[in-house]
Amino acid sequence: MSGRLGGLLRGGTALFTAGLLLTAAACGDSAGDTGSSGSSASLPSEIKVVSTNPETGAAAFAGLAANKGYEVAIQEINDQHYLGANTKLVLDKQDTTGKIQTAASQATSAVADKSYTAIFGSVSSQESVAQAPIADKSKMPIIFTQAGSDGVVIGDYTFRVTPPMSSYYPKIADYIKAQHITKLAIIYAAWTPTLKEIGEKTLPGLASQAGFTVVSSIGTQQTTQDFTAPISQALAKQPDGIAILQVGAANPTAMTQLRQAGYKGPVLGNSGASAGNLTPAGANGAGMTWVVDYSSQNKTESSDKFVALYQKKFPSETPLNYAAEAYDAAWLLARGIKEAGSADRTAIMQGMKKTASAGFTGAMGQLKFEGNDLRLPGVVVQWDGTKEILVTG
Amino acid sequence: MLQDLINAVALGSIYLLFALGMSLAWGTIGILNFAHGSIFMFSAFTAYLIVNAVKLPLVAVILIAAIAGAVMSVAVQVLAFEPILRRAKDSRAAEMQILIGGIGVAGVPLAIAQHYTKSNPFGFTNSSFKVDTFDLGGVRITSVQIIIIALALVLGVGIARWLQVSRHGLALRSIGVDPEVSSIMGVDRRRLALTTMTIAGALAGLAGALLTYNLGALTPESGETLILKAFAAIVVGGVGSMAGVVVGSYVLAIAETVVLTQTSGLWVDAVSFGLIFLVLMFRTQGLFGRREVRRT
Repeated sequence: MSGRLGGLLRGGTALFTAGLLLTAAACGDSAGDTGSSGSSASLPSEIKVVSTNPETGAAAFAGLAANKGYEVAIQEINDQHYLGANTKLVLDKQDTTGKIQTAASQATSAVADKSYTAIFGSVSSQESVAQAPIADKSKMPIIFTQAGSDGVVIGDYTFRVTPPMSSYYPKIADYIKAQHITKLAIIYAAWTPTLKEIGEKTLPGLASQAGFTVVSSIGTQQTTQDFTAPISQALAKQPDGIAILQVGAANPTAMTQLRQAGYKGPVLGNSGASAGNLTPAGANGAGMTWVVDYSSQNKTESSDKFVALYQKKFPSETPLNYAAEAYDAAWLLARGIKEAGSADRTAIMQGMKKTASAGFTGAMGQLKFEGNDLRLPGVVVQWDGTKEILVTG
Repeated sequence: MLQDLINAVALGSIYLLFALGMSLAWGTIGILNFAHGSIFMFSAFTAYLIVNAVKLPLVAVILIAAIAGAVMSVAVQVLAFEPILRRAKDSRAAEMQILIGGIGVAGVPLAIAQHYTKSNPFGFTNSSFKVDTFDLGGVRITSVQIIIIALALVLGVGIARWLQVSRHGLALRSIGVDPEVSSIMGVDRRRLALTTMTIAGALAGLAGALLTYNLGALTPESGETLILKAFAAIVVGGVGSMAGVVVGSYVLAIAETVVLTQTSGLWVDAVSFGLIFLVLMFRTQGLFGRREVRRT
């Protein structure tokens, strides 16, 4: 009840803020400011952006959540008349269906369609790596979320509003030490660039800092559905900690089979276990711990504001990190457009660069960029069998 | 070592349960049904929807999935494959069109399940059956793995024997050898085709339910991965040979387990699918396939 009341109060504050911004925009227009940085007078009535995300396929849980984040942000931007009283940001959505070729051809089509000023790239690293060079070479601003591998942020026109997992995953080191893990076995999805990097480089790289040795490292493939053999191989080395770095349904399966194999120790995971993916594992899933860039459990003013906005649009849903990242990505674009004072693609890229350089406060907190790439400290969360709980903020 | 063997046998049994229905339809009535994976998944998904509403035991869940699989399989035969067979110019064209038609049909249940689950994994958490784990002198095996191994062997051997000795089985095999001659000899091809597709669908549903219990969860895309494994097992064993698909499934699973336990795991698909290549190089009809059974 108090949460809803808080939401209403925050909603009122947002309306008041929107009114102030509208007044400010009107004053700017009347002052005859045309085309200088920060002006919205020369913006067209519609600025179109296309989200190319998997709405079906194995990564759909992330793509759909990201699209919700874009929707929340764009509604807020338009409601506030952030780009001016006569300018609206319009979101188109295209389903990459989890296929690299589809994602690439959608990026090519968006580049060719002059009505689009920017692209929200796919959450899937495999798809993003294909989209990035297409957009960058064609001077089309593209903003990625979640896709954390190398080869995504490759030039001036490519931005990423998700820190690479390898940049915040080291936060797990404190948890490893606290659990007194000295012998770690790693079972990782070698077919995803992000998890391959975490499994082969990032996690082993923490060994001396966190005081463990990697006793077993087993890569699995996209076709692996039964994990009894890799788990058996890992347990043969008698580890006191296991990292299961998998995507989607592989997480509940691996956790179920790990517990059935008699292992009761700590399990490290990754954000691929988020979005309720561990639910089918029931109690067997409890204890998996991983690092995310954002958790709505981490109570901060900016996060609470985002959660309230999100739940106003999607009642009774808790926003996932994918939605928070997309929300901040949409705001990076809006701020970039406002900074540019133009819907020109190159001007928007330059506007986003300025915005990234200055940083801003978003759903995920105070956002700081290294070039075009976001950096955040991350938070450690754990699955308790039914939901994610915060381990460290 | 013994644990690895148990794991390999359990994995082979999973492949076998999935591949049995596909092999039966392909080896007898010549239907290479690429919608088999979708039927497998959607049967489990149907059971999942019902289990979510009503707490059910293992047997009831398996029955629901098997019935759903049988109904879907017959529907695919009647609505998609029979019209293709009627209109195709010759048997070669029909086989190709059925293959493509199966891929097309598979997209429908896949899209429905993806839309409903948003591609999140689903499992039978609301089922009253809970998986037990037994520790036999350091070797661990679950109750579902025992059921899967037992059912796979019983069904594999049972179907092979049924095809060899029963009148229906012999009639089915005669269709596989020469459909026209079998018709002249009084074999009701349509009725037998529908029976075969019913059994194949029920087997897909059975496999779907058991695999969901075994893995803890499936996704709408799970069938797509397994269909490749089943295809490999059937080709290695020999199309048209039920003994072949039994052996092919276990050969594939043992090869994968050996590779996984002896290497970093990245060579699993390369080695297991390399096996197919080798078999096809030196024995084109597969380990147990007979040339005369192959359709032309």
